[in-house]
Amino acid sequence: MRLSAARVAARVLEALEKGERIYTAVVVDSADRSMIGRRWWLSGRRNRGTLGSPALDAAVAAAVPSLFPPRESRGALSRDFEYRDGERAVTARVYLELHGPPARMVIVGAGHIAIPLARLGSMLGMRVEVLDDRPEFASADRFPDADVVRVIDFRDPFAATALGPSDHVILVTRGHSFDYECLVRLLRMEAPPGYIGMIGSRRRVRATHEQLAREGFTTEDMGRVRAPVGLDLGGQTPAEIAVSVAAEIILFHAGGTGMPLVEKERVVERFFGGEGA
Amino acid sequence: MDEKEVMALLASLEEPAVLATIVSAKGSTPRKTGARMLIGRDGVIAGTVGGGCGEGEVITAAQDLFDGGPPTTVRVDLTDDFTSWSPAVCGGIMNVFIERANPDLFGDV
Repeated sequence: MRLSAARVAARVLEALEKGERIYTAVVVDSADRSMIGRRWWLSGRRNRGTLGSPALDAAVAAAVPSLFPPRESRGALSRDFEYRDGERAVTARVYLELHGPPARMVIVGAGHIAIPLARLGSMLGMRVEVLDDRPEFASADRFPDADVVRVIDFRDPFAATALGPSDHVILVTRGHSFDYECLVRLLRMEAPPGYIGMIGSRRRVRATHEQLAREGFTTEDMGRVRAPVGLDLGGQTPAEIAVSVAAEIILFHAGGTGMPLVEKERVVERFFGGEGA
Repeated sequence: MDEKEVMALLASLEEPAVLATIVSAKGSTPRKTGARMLIGRDGVIAGTVGGGCGEGEVITAAQDLFDGGPPTTVRVDLTDDFTSWSPAVCGGIMNVFIERANPDLFGDV
């Protein structure tokens, strides 16, 4: 029996419930009209359904890891796939979706920046986790928007938080030695978080990098750390700084320029330009 | 209704419905690739593929699937009346795939 959209939706919800990553595909255009609407899903090594041709199923399965990088937890796109049907090379247009566990924002340091940042992370649809070694700061009352608030020991800050490529870790601890300890652990992970940010002045960031270099980290390792974290908005208050960090996370995934749109688009200049345009 | 709620409804429908999905979008469209809408015989059940901007075309085309029409892609061009002040001025083009969400509930299968 053909796999219906309703059946696949039920399977996606089940995968999300279990915290699994699942890809779904449906043929939206093909010279062989009977293939249109055929669908298939893949989760781990399990898959069900068919796009109407084993060769097409295989081509799509091979392409999904590169179409949806590990750091992404959501995605939707259409692609043309070429595959062999006997002797002929044929093309089909396939619409693909990725559904994964929601992206996570792990904020280390439960100080004044953490409060608006936790709220923004939650607004962006992320699971928010706040870590600090001070129970009076790492309290659920202080972070109504966080999914998890954890009291940790900085000697092993991520002991209870399994991190991976789809995670965002933002270091905003009260002291730069704490940030440094976290950073060393993050950079030594086999599959480090895709987004690692650390707050700090230029001087403090430089001191951290000098210490990393002394420990044998390469410039490539250092390049994986966004420090100072955030976009240059010029803001000063905790809320303004949190917005600049959240904005950088959006940029990281959505791939914009970070420019004011009015400067990027220059609508007035381009279409109503007159002199000098 | 958010994306997950539309998905939950899609998974648990008890009436025949047509699923409309934006499978690609170019330019300024109100909703992006991946947005979904469920349409019943009597109109929209849940979700949106853009409201005033082209949604009517999709709803009209969906009726065909209740009458036995094949799954197809509706190309919605929102660039036509760019200079008018109608709410349909968005400036983009989107492809919306429509299909029977639950073919087993259609009486003709």
